[in-house]
Amino acid sequence: MDKPTLLLLILVLTTAGYYFGRKRSLDIVSGKVQELHSLPSYYGYYLAMWVGVPTLLLLLIWLGFEGAVLSRLVVADLPGELQGDSGERAALLINEIRNTMAGAGSGSGDPSIQAAANHYRHLQAVSDWLLSLGVIALAALGGWFGHRQIEVEQRARNKVEKGTMVFLIACSTIAIFTTVGIVLSVVFESVLFFQKVPVTDFLFGLRWSPQMAIRADQVGSSGAFGAVPLFTGTLLISFIAMVVAVPIGLMSAIYLAEYASPRVRTVAKPLLEILAGVPTVVYGFFAALTVAPYIRDLGQSLGLDVSSESALAAGLVMGVMIIPFVSSLSDDFINAVPQSLRDGAYALGATQSETIRQVIIPAALPGIVGGILLAVSRAIGETMIVVMAAGLSANLTANPLAAVTTVTTQIVTLLVGDQEFDSPKTLAAFALGLVLFLVTLMLNIAALMIVRKYREQYE
Amino acid sequence: MNSLLELKTAMRDERTEVKPAKRLGTNVSFDRDYGDTVGEVTASNARMVCRDVNVFYGPKQAIHGVNLDIGRNEVIALIGPSGCGKSTFIRCLNRMNDTIVGCRVTGSIQLDGQDIYDPQMDVVPLRAQIGMVFQKPNPFPKSIYENVAYGPRIHGLTQNKAELEEVVENSLRRAGLWDEVKDSLDQPGTSLSGGQQQRLCIARTIAVNPEVILMDEPCSALDPIATARIEQLIDELRMQFTIAIVTHSMQQAARVSQRTAYFHLGKLIEVGETAQVFTNPRHQLTEDYITGRFG
Ligand SMILES: Nc1ncnc2c1ncn2[C@@H]1O[C@H](COP(=O)(O)OP(=O)(O)OP(=O)(O)O)[C@@H](O)[C@H]1O
Ligand SMILES: [Mg+2]
Repeated sequence: MDKPTLLLLILVLTTAGYYFGRKRSLDIVSGKVQELHSLPSYYGYYLAMWVGVPTLLLLLIWLGFEGAVLSRLVVADLPGELQGDSGERAALLINEIRNTMAGAGSGSGDPSIQAAANHYRHLQAVSDWLLSLGVIALAALGGWFGHRQIEVEQRARNKVEKGTMVFLIACSTIAIFTTVGIVLSVVFESVLFFQKVPVTDFLFGLRWSPQMAIRADQVGSSGAFGAVPLFTGTLLISFIAMVVAVPIGLMSAIYLAEYASPRVRTVAKPLLEILAGVPTVVYGFFAALTVAPYIRDLGQSLGLDVSSESALAAGLVMGVMIIPFVSSLSDDFINAVPQSLRDGAYALGATQSETIRQVIIPAALPGIVGGILLAVSRAIGETMIVVMAAGLSANLTANPLAAVTTVTTQIVTLLVGDQEFDSPKTLAAFALGLVLFLVTLMLNIAALMIVRKYREQYE
Repeated sequence: MNSLLELKTAMRDERTEVKPAKRLGTNVSFDRDYGDTVGEVTASNARMVCRDVNVFYGPKQAIHGVNLDIGRNEVIALIGPSGCGKSTFIRCLNRMNDTIVGCRVTGSIQLDGQDIYDPQMDVVPLRAQIGMVFQKPNPFPKSIYENVAYGPRIHGLTQNKAELEEVVENSLRRAGLWDEVKDSLDQPGTSLSGGQQQRLCIARTIAVNPEVILMDEPCSALDPIATARIEQLIDELRMQFTIAIVTHSMQQAARVSQRTAYFHLGKLIEVGETAQVFTNPRHQLTEDYITGRFG
């Protein structure tokens, strides 16, 4: 049996387990449910667990190791001259063999490869056979054992409860391990990069030109991996974005929370939040096709030298994108300020704007700052807009009218197209990713800590 | 003051069989019509004069035709069952109801002869004249010093820093808090205990030198000792201010007030000298409330 069929079989067996478990429990007490410790369905789930869990585990483990084991067996049987000694060569061989099996092989002319492919196919069939046998045996064993366990006094409900908990833990573990895995892979690749390019060159170098020459005698034969222009570019654009987003977001939040009538509020708040739902690529071409040319023309009419892809254009549009982050969170926090504080200020004769400026904003400030930090980390990580509107030239400049590039843009350009996976150019992307990750992580942690502290204060 | 309640209870027992007409009014002169309210609505030296005050929350009427004077240097207690409109009424007196959407006030309320609901009236100085202390202490998230200095600052009451410091110290002294906080004026106001916070709020209110102080259940969040402290404070403040206090504790009303007004379902049922209202209520509803038959 192949694997999809096997999975289906497991599901069928598990369902059967449920049915027989339930039936068994009812049989034991000859239909008098009150005498059972748990409801009959729990005995069903219990038996289903005994059938389903071990077989599924076996299937997963088999899937995990089958490829590697089979490949090793096949390679070991190849004639000596093909085997070579490096791991890379073995991987290439396996690829060739698999391709041949699929009938689309490039090296199908080689008879020994052809033989190996046949061998592989044979082994695969044996493996599938073994697996089917194992699954059926395990299902039978588990079913028999579980079935025997079912008694009047058996606490099936508690066991099912435990099983559910283990399952939930497993799910969350997968999420956590995925994160850990991503972080680790980024770290490992970065370490490889830092073996080729010193950390200090990367972090403090002022020149970014990641093109590696193909031949040693070419001009600019070695790339430069000084990331400072990228950091400053990112900071410049994020700064422009925050200059746009913080005042507008904060003011609109104040208007919505303090001045707007409930009717206006119910309409305006969702409208504002729609801004957050616009796909960033839409913002991107808006920035590249509308805002950037407009700024260039405006600059020309003022006699300024504006490049057609400017930090200003990208920053402005990114700022618009971030407005709802700032306004929505600020609005929540302004609303969370207790009415009693407003009453206190009004009762002293403060006007509404005095109350807002002197009492409400200070009270909501930690939350607002947290919201702004979240928005900053969003701005730093934003890719699409800057890819489309900010340009690719790594200028070390603070001039918002010049073209700059950002960390995310460079990651994209480094990885687009044909790549060698061990060239510094490709690995540099991971190093940049690591820096980006660390910065946004720190910003997020800081923001969450501030927000949480503030929440405790008023709840 | 317990003796007062005992006295009242004893009197109730005496009077149970003879149930006189609900509205005695034997020694009350009604030269004008003040609705159904029993007792002396007017005060000889009135600071605030409320006539035919109605309050609506949207279509719902919460206060029905209340007439009441609040006299100079007196403490008037507003009592009544929950939801009868005490808070609503007291918030009318400094136009705090303006901040509630859909709340409408009709009738006239005068402070020293001036209608506070006059469209010409500026609520900012008005609220400086009529201060308010709330049920839950609500110090601003600022330092103790800044909490008290806030009012004088926004009203520009002081010329320089030294004067402001003097006002802050004076207010804290009068609120009986100075000795406890004089070494920690830069600590946040929210770090004080509940009773201290409430006294801080009182200090904040008297720092702008109001003429009338409204208090809406100022002790309901406090323990008996803090309550006693604030009651003593109210008694002292009476010398300088006119005070209206909402309370659920009849003992407290009896201890701090000179006059008592009993509200029921948005109507002012009875007003009178505190001792008289508690020992000899004239209206059946007042009597029922005071003797604990409902509310
Ligand atoms: N903001 C509001 N909107 C609508 N109705 C209100 C509002 N505030 C109070 N009310 C209504 O007005 C009536 C009087 O309420 P109020 O708060 O004045 O009672 P209270 O005497 O202070 O009660 P308590 O002793 O419980 O504080 C109640 O029926 C209440 O439901
Ligand atoms: Mg109330």
